[in-house]
Amino acid sequence: MTAPLRKALRDVWQERTRTALVVLAIALGIAGLTAGLSSYAILVRELNRGYLETEPASAILRTDFVDDASLKEVRAIPEVKAAEPRRVLNGRIKAGPGQWRSLVLFVVQDFSGIRVSKLVPQAGAWPPAAGEILIERDAMQVAHAKVGDLVTVRTARGQDVSLRLSGTVKDVGQAQARMENLVYGYVTLATLSQLGETLVLDQLHLLVAQDGFNEAHVRGVAEQVKGVLEARGHLVKRLDVPAPVKHPHADLMSLLLLVMASFALFVLLLSGALVLNLMTALMASQVRQIGVMKAVGGSRAQIARIYFAQALVLGIAAIAVAVGPGLWGGRAICRAMAVFLNFDLASFAVPLWVFACIGLTGLLAPLLSAAWPVWKGTKVTVREALTDYGVSRNSFGTSASDRRLAGVGGLARPVLLALRNALRRRMRVALTMVTLALGGLFFMTALNLRASMIGTLDALFSTMKFDLSVSLSEMASAEQVERAVRATPSIARAEGWIATEGSFPAPAGGERFPVFAMPPKTQMLQLNIVSGRDFQPGDTNALIASSALAAKYRQLQAGKSVRLRMGPVVQEWQVIGIARQPFSPAVAYISRAYLDEAGGHAGMSNSLRIAVRDGDVEGARAGLDKSLEAEGLRALTSNSKADSRTSFDQHMLMIYVVLIVLSCIIGGVGGLGLMTTMSLNVLERRREMGVLRALGATPRVVWLLVVAEGTVICLASWEAAALLSWPLSRGLGRGLVLHAFRSGMDFTFEASGLAVWLLVSLLLAVLGSFVPAWNATRVTVREALAYE
Amino acid sequence: MISLQRVSKDYATPAGRFPALREIDLTIVAGEFATIVGRSGSGKSTLLNLIGGLDTASSGTIDVGGAAVHGMSEAQLSSWRGRKVGFVFQFFQLLPTLTAIENVMLPMDFARLLPPRQRRPRALELLARTGIAGQADKLPSALSGGQQQRVAISRALANDPELLLADEPTGNLDSETARAVLGLLRGLGKTVVIATHERDLKADRTIEMADGRVVR
Repeated sequence: MTAPLRKALRDVWQERTRTALVVLAIALGIAGLTAGLSSYAILVRELNRGYLETEPASAILRTDFVDDASLKEVRAIPEVKAAEPRRVLNGRIKAGPGQWRSLVLFVVQDFSGIRVSKLVPQAGAWPPAAGEILIERDAMQVAHAKVGDLVTVRTARGQDVSLRLSGTVKDVGQAQARMENLVYGYVTLATLSQLGETLVLDQLHLLVAQDGFNEAHVRGVAEQVKGVLEARGHLVKRLDVPAPVKHPHADLMSLLLLVMASFALFVLLLSGALVLNLMTALMASQVRQIGVMKAVGGSRAQIARIYFAQALVLGIAAIAVAVGPGLWGGRAICRAMAVFLNFDLASFAVPLWVFACIGLTGLLAPLLSAAWPVWKGTKVTVREALTDYGVSRNSFGTSASDRRLAGVGGLARPVLLALRNALRRRMRVALTMVTLALGGLFFMTALNLRASMIGTLDALFSTMKFDLSVSLSEMASAEQVERAVRATPSIARAEGWIATEGSFPAPAGGERFPVFAMPPKTQMLQLNIVSGRDFQPGDTNALIASSALAAKYRQLQAGKSVRLRMGPVVQEWQVIGIARQPFSPAVAYISRAYLDEAGGHAGMSNSLRIAVRDGDVEGARAGLDKSLEAEGLRALTSNSKADSRTSFDQHMLMIYVVLIVLSCIIGGVGGLGLMTTMSLNVLERRREMGVLRALGATPRVVWLLVVAEGTVICLASWEAAALLSWPLSRGLGRGLVLHAFRSGMDFTFEASGLAVWLLVSLLLAVLGSFVPAWNATRVTVREALAYE
Repeated sequence: MISLQRVSKDYATPAGRFPALREIDLTIVAGEFATIVGRSGSGKSTLLNLIGGLDTASSGTIDVGGAAVHGMSEAQLSSWRGRKVGFVFQFFQLLPTLTAIENVMLPMDFARLLPPRQRRPRALELLARTGIAGQADKLPSALSGGQQQRVAISRALANDPELLLADEPTGNLDSETARAVLGLLRGLGKTVVIATHERDLKADRTIEMADGRVVR
């Protein structure tokens, strides 16, 4: 090992405490990057593998029914690898005397021969026998049941039937049941018969033989199949081609992981500021040594290499520290994501490119951060380096701003000293402040976003004047509904709506969205009209689009007319207004007058909005079930406003938990930065502290001076964060929500965030300065005065 | 060996331009043991720095061993110094994180005149020559002033330079150690130029300076 390399290593060792702080900061960034990249690599691979292994359907056709002859003909098409009939029903499920839960029931013709959208048995029986039901593994928690239990299932046309929960399956293609608050159940045709439903399978799941990743090809094959079915007299109501080879939530997962990896890079950038501070201080303290090395023949490049080697050591140490925890974190993320997206991880193997990226970034980050101080530090001439200038040209007091600061008075001398000391190394302090301020900014932004989301959701839910939303299995007359409502004492008032689906004919659209027909003077929904007007009595073919629907289809503007398909009918509708409904799916509201008059559904409804008495939602729900039964009606789903709100909150929770965690990490890096800065400040001013002590300052006074200096930095960063958090939260919140939900957000500033971050800043100030301050007081006056 | 013609050096100071050297003409022949004497601020250290390429002249020409020092870039000066000149400083200026022998090997690592395997034996030989081989693996902080200066002399000889420049090499040593160090320098058989306050130092030639000029 050459002498320059030895010097590099020993210098790092000599500065081990500060080096450790900087290494820790870089390690935080690298660990985050490792976690982000490794989880990205694992999840993308495993999600696709897990998803593709189930042979997801290339296309799904919804028809009246699938008969054997048609199925045989479809299977004979060479481009069709597999075709299987299925049925999906909505219903309810209850375990024991518990509460009814929404059920999505999949009917499979032959469990032992599934070739499309495969199910993976997890526990219990496989295949299920007649009278048995399998439940998706994640939905078991929603169902509040265990294998072996008897559950009651109710479908639209059938009666309540007790089925044995005989096992669990994994269905990768479904969204997380807990998040959706749904139970996914799987039964045979025999069980369907027991449920009292007609023995009809009305969906055809297709798997194309080749070129399954080519959406145009898949659509072509599906159209061919559709032609076969139609030629046999079947009505094909809908043809869906999911995005090929992509899990339905793959994009969301990639976005989340991208955000995380970007954040890790950002942390790495901030830790680069610490490297910059450390190297600047190191170069300043080594001026004379640099001069000597130049005097004995070292060129600038040779000397710069010594210091770059030190920066490299920081990177290597940080990588060594970070990779383990990073990989561990990556695994934790993978596990959480696997639960979230409901798939299994077969391997945690991290590909080599991830390690290459981490190595490269981990080594380059400190090298790049060190470039400027090293290059500047090695520029010094031998004469400058070896000459004692006394008070240097760059000392405090030589600039106009210093002199202005020196003019600040009216404070106690120690406070003035702390204030001026804090601003002596402006670049160092600025970088430290930036890291601390960013931590505060993230934290306050997270709180503001949370408050804004809650405020916006409060406003949204306040427009809903009902407590319970009930969908019926079929159309009911006004009299039937009225009688059922009257017979339920917990109901204060109710309104009958018609819920259906609509779409805009091609080329404008094609995607279906819910359409609600409601009375023009509805008491149950107070739409927040942002453009145009609300319904008025006399409106017939009037339509109000939710903001999400209007954002999706630009032709939806107040005053314009659109052609809307509902069922087989395409009708001209007048868009009279746009209703703001943040965080909500695309929905259209129409006046039910048209359906009453032209649609032949006068006074009928299949969807009820109910306001309850004294908040007795459960009483109303249970009572209405019975009352409807007495009228020969059946509630298919029954969702309370509180349930919907909980589901919303669950989705939002993730966003601000992530933001708070991220702000804590940045705050941590800021704290490390402050500690590094304060220790460098103390080191450089050791002689001054000796002078202070010689002049009579007690160790306690010196300690307080250092802590006060740290406090000044923290308070300044808090102020910067406080000033910036308002516009940032507003802009970020609006941008995020607009991107994710196609609607704006009501901004709320969380004032408590300011106070909390002020406390955190003060705490960081004390923690960050404590060790350097303590070290400063341990040095004897003689040592301090002799320090060079 | 050393030839200076009309060499001047000015420094810009907050108080205005300060002439440190004025129109110096000087020649020192190879193998000479010369001292530059004068009071503080007379310009002796500046003269030594210009000869060794530690600083650049404002005007004039400096030729050392056939090399036109005044025309060299900073990088060329570093390389030239490493091969041709050895420096000894008043405060020894050893690198604190390197041991004595590593300090001596440092110029060899920079100049790369010797293969890596031969550097340690040579450094040990030089330390032995200055009588300090026994302390080779100690850090400077563990050495006395005299020992540190011996290491510094060994380091100055690392690349076998033609010229040795010493700025107050005994200024920080007691008289007995100072005598020993000077004896060591005198016995090297190289061109040695020493800037010193001590006018009675025995030398082949004494150059006296005052107010930036050679007065004798």
